[in-house]
Amino acid sequence: MAVGVEEEVKSLVNFLGLPAYKVTTHGDLKVPQLQTSNGRTLMGLATISKFLAKSSASNGAKLLGTSPEEHAEIAQWLEYRVTVVDRSVEKKDVQAMLKELNSYLLDKVYFLGFHLSLADLVIYHGLHPVMCQLNFYEKQQYQNVSRWFDQVQHYPGVQQHLPKVVFVRNSLYTSFDH
Amino acid sequence: MHTSRAKGKQCFLVLRQQQFNVQALVFVNDKTVSKQMVKFAANITKESIIDVEGVVQKVAQPVESCTQRDVELHVERVFVVSASAPQLPLQLDDAARPEHDEEDASRPRVNQDTRLDNRIIDLRTTTNQAVYRVVAGVCDLFRATLTGKGFVEIHTPKIISAASEGGANVFTVSYFKNNAYLAQSPQLYKQMAIAADFEKVFTVGAVFRAEDSNTHRHLTEFVGLDLEMAFNYHYHEVLDVIGDMFVCIFKGLRDRYKTEINTIQKQFPSEPFRFLEPSLRLEFPEAVAMLREAGVEIGDEDDLSTPDEKLLGKLVKAKYDTDFFILDKFPLAVRPFYTMPDPNNPKYANSYDMYMRGEEILSGAQRIHDPEFLTERAKAHEIDIEKIKSYIDSFRYGCPPHGGGGIGMERVVMLYLGLNNIRKTSMFPRDPKRLTP
Repeated sequence: MAVGVEEEVKSLVNFLGLPAYKVTTHGDLKVPQLQTSNGRTLMGLATISKFLAKSSASNGAKLLGTSPEEHAEIAQWLEYRVTVVDRSVEKKDVQAMLKELNSYLLDKVYFLGFHLSLADLVIYHGLHPVMCQLNFYEKQQYQNVSRWFDQVQHYPGVQQHLPKVVFVRNSLYTSFDH
Repeated sequence: MHTSRAKGKQCFLVLRQQQFNVQALVFVNDKTVSKQMVKFAANITKESIIDVEGVVQKVAQPVESCTQRDVELHVERVFVVSASAPQLPLQLDDAARPEHDEEDASRPRVNQDTRLDNRIIDLRTTTNQAVYRVVAGVCDLFRATLTGKGFVEIHTPKIISAASEGGANVFTVSYFKNNAYLAQSPQLYKQMAIAADFEKVFTVGAVFRAEDSNTHRHLTEFVGLDLEMAFNYHYHEVLDVIGDMFVCIFKGLRDRYKTEINTIQKQFPSEPFRFLEPSLRLEFPEAVAMLREAGVEIGDEDDLSTPDEKLLGKLVKAKYDTDFFILDKFPLAVRPFYTMPDPNNPKYANSYDMYMRGEEILSGAQRIHDPEFLTERAKAHEIDIEKIKSYIDSFRYGCPPHGGGGIGMERVVMLYLGLNNIRKTSMFPRDPKRLTP
């Protein structure tokens, strides 16, 4: 986990239009650490992401949601990223996770409904290595995840340093293909 | 006799003949059927060959379990012509059961090795009876189409003195005091026939490849349908003939083998085979562009790997709605030394592959017919000229420009029907692990 977590935090900083922060990783688990302007150190991806969003007056506010329910949902998905996405290494765990996300995203454009939120950005970064490894058959199987991922990676300012994942718009595989 | 089931004074038989079956009744009556006869009928072993005399009767309710649903046979006399041993190595009902039937999921199926070890019984299933009729149909259509276009059928030797297409994958046989080899393809002899002024030839015969490949699509011995023709102005004359031949084969199968294809679909359902008329033709750079668009990293002159070919098949299907297409102008670097380069672009060749459902079924090209140029190309490929002297000499006494290609009969049927293993279309298949029956 967390091979590119420093890059991820920097990417979020850029997206929000904030000035650069000092980002390091700590320990074997490579937990990200960020030094704030008044000398405090913040630890953990969820914490840092929320802090950055709150620090950016105009862009960040939209990303954090507008109601207590939305705040809570975003916190839920930040937690999901760290506890489920980052820990899914085995093939069967990854497949179970993709299946779960695929049914969740069936009726939503973004994780919270119709607007981009912090949840989308954080899950996008977490899923990027997984999506790079999927073949076209799997991308078709997890159609809703593919649709959401393509949407988010094309959102202005999101992709940045990450390579683009290719999706094919047609159905290539039928029920007769394994 | 497929099955028999007795209940007191009545015996129900299912009689089977190749692709079809019919219900027959042996019921006790005053005039023709005694109780002992019913008992006799009930005790006939499965798969015995029997003669039956009776009256064909219409039924009130259709017989769901038989192909002949609106009639049944009321038996008056029954004789056993050839009795079967009572213990069968496999049950035909199990062998004919669809793989993924939800209702019958717990009932047994017969695995491939058991089928191949007891091929005589396995071939009796209605599905297999249909499959091998389709195989015969492909051969028939191949011959008829080409003969109609003025081709002459020739027969080429299979015992040869030198390995034709590169020495690695060839079987050696002892030939009196020396060694000889089993031909990997009729390539050399097809070309010699063209040099012998036969203009358009085809041959149907065994091809031997000593490749230790244990896959769903390789056999060590298979039937090659090969053709070669001289052309007048451009090698696309050859490509047009081959493309048209395939269209004729696909149409012929679709129109004349409907019954067989329906029978096969019951056990092995698949997407129907789609093709365009005239056949779709793409050039190699277009294929590379399609693959790159889908995120595959591939160089301009790289050969296509098997996963590339499969993905390309899917992309072409999605874009053009065809399971069959021709890919023309392969890079020269990945083709054999006797391939004619493209005169307008030295990096490419007048060479083509054809694909069905994303798998290669034909590799062909215009051949070099000038002995000096051929020698030059052989040297460029670092081939020992001494070893191919007689091949080069074939072209010394005048030979028209020509090209052709060869297809594997079993593979074409396998892909047309959407079957998943080539051993399903080879009656007695040969692979690195199987030499019997």
